[in-house]
Amino acid sequence: MLELSGLSKHFGGVKAVDELDLTVNEGEIVGLIGPNGSGKSTTINLICGVFGETAGTVRFRGELMNGKPPHQRLRAGLARTFQNIRLFPNLTVWQNLWVAQNSPQDVSARGFLPRWFGATRRTRREIADLLDLADLGHKDDELASNLAFGEQRRLEFARAAATRPRLLLLDEPAAGMNQQEIADLSRRIHRVRDSGVTILLVEHVMELVMGVTEQIAVLNFGRKIAFGTPGEVQRDKAVQEAYLGASDPGDGSA
Amino acid sequence: MDDYVITVLSNIGMISFIGLSAYLLLVTGEISFGQQAYFGLGAYAAGAVTAMFLLPIWVGILVGACVAGGIAMVVGALTLRLSGLYFSISTLAFAEMVRLILLIVHVQVEVEGEMVGPAGAEGFHGIRWMFERDLSLAHFMLLIYGLLALVLIVLLLVERSRLGSVFRMLGSDDLLAEMQGLDTVRYRILAAGVAGVISGIGGALYAHFTTYVEPQFFNVMLGVHALAYGLIGGLGTAFGPFIGVAIDIGFLESVRFIQGYRMIVFGGLAAVLLIFMPRGILDEERVHRLKTLFRRRNHAGAQRR
Repeated sequence: MLELSGLSKHFGGVKAVDELDLTVNEGEIVGLIGPNGSGKSTTINLICGVFGETAGTVRFRGELMNGKPPHQRLRAGLARTFQNIRLFPNLTVWQNLWVAQNSPQDVSARGFLPRWFGATRRTRREIADLLDLADLGHKDDELASNLAFGEQRRLEFARAAATRPRLLLLDEPAAGMNQQEIADLSRRIHRVRDSGVTILLVEHVMELVMGVTEQIAVLNFGRKIAFGTPGEVQRDKAVQEAYLGASDPGDGSA
Repeated sequence: MDDYVITVLSNIGMISFIGLSAYLLLVTGEISFGQQAYFGLGAYAAGAVTAMFLLPIWVGILVGACVAGGIAMVVGALTLRLSGLYFSISTLAFAEMVRLILLIVHVQVEVEGEMVGPAGAEGFHGIRWMFERDLSLAHFMLLIYGLLALVLIVLLLVERSRLGSVFRMLGSDDLLAEMQGLDTVRYRILAAGVAGVISGIGGALYAHFTTYVEPQFFNVMLGVHALAYGLIGGLGTAFGPFIGVAIDIGFLESVRFIQGYRMIVFGGLAAVLLIFMPRGILDEERVHRLKTLFRRRNHAGAQRR
């Protein structure tokens, strides 16, 4: 479904992402982890087209994505959430979900009035479903800026799902969440996956990563140092070194 | 009503067009100091249509609006990559360019033994469509407010529609809007064009109301006032700019006794307002609260019945 090959992004002399190869298969939940500054967010930004790559290719469903602007990638089925919450604070919860509906299906929907005045039953039903997914049904008419932190995170998640993605990129969705919220989030991730969406999860909170993912790729200094199931990755020597520092005190490179 | 009142009211109406034009761009997050250019272009184009080619005023207004809107879209496309201060400066530069070009344009044709048309710094005289038809100022005022109401209704409908949300998206987070699958480039050009059309209609009316236009009127102060209306009145609803106009003209008229210091006091007032209400009096938050209140009351009323 998603194929990164030789993907690199250099900022001056800093190799934020370096020769990354990664394949995500349809229907999987794949984790992308690594210490701070290891290039996880840069990878997401490269996949979404926020900035151009230095080298390498991004293929999505067999199609080359290099050079395509973000809105075209979204229409191809790539959606994301942000590390620091990004919503439209001056729009209501309902409107935030409404304007997110830009998939090819929505764009080809016929009729000026239903499309631009939101009158179609289908649209309303879908937004109601999304509100249900995010547990925000009672707040649909509230401005996004008036929501609590946890509610804003849920809205962001629902908004990404509103675009009918085929691949959903979650950038640290559990940051700042408590146990209960993390449990809710992993249920929500599974629910979206079961509706046919592949998920790439970038996360620091190991509880969530180890709990929901099937495959994990570990980055360090922009390079992939390990790939495997959660169990395999946890036992991996290189990963332990990256996170905890090298066991050999003579090697100061970590 | 005497002519003085009608003139003041008509001026308020015509200035409101440029206020709405600047408001629309403010909503999309662009601070344009150049909307007066489209007002001027609309005025010259409409004046040329009725005075030089002797066509009806409807054609004049239409042509004025289209010329202003078309040029606004071209300028919008050219300044697309600029943001913030750079965008503002480029709009200002463009508006000054238009004004200076109008100062040297000298194109006249002979109409009924008289030379009519733009005459550089002397302006464009003889746009007498209204007086040739014995229309009173009061009639023309109705035309102004009729068109203003039409523009306002369109803007309020846009606000209710998805396009209104899209414009607000551009205003709050461009990258996120792009990430939501919106072709932000297209919508920005569209917004620039619509803003140009609105300003152009105001200019077309202005030319026919005063019977002559000169480049000097479309200087940067007009653009600054247009911006101030939206910023003071509020960016939450298209009614906002009208509050700005009311405060500006009402205030300026009521403090004539302090004469030359008026603008200083007005500037200070605007600054204080913007510190405490950065998005104006009727900002999104207040508009939303008013709407909720109104809906609840309606709901309660319906239940009582």
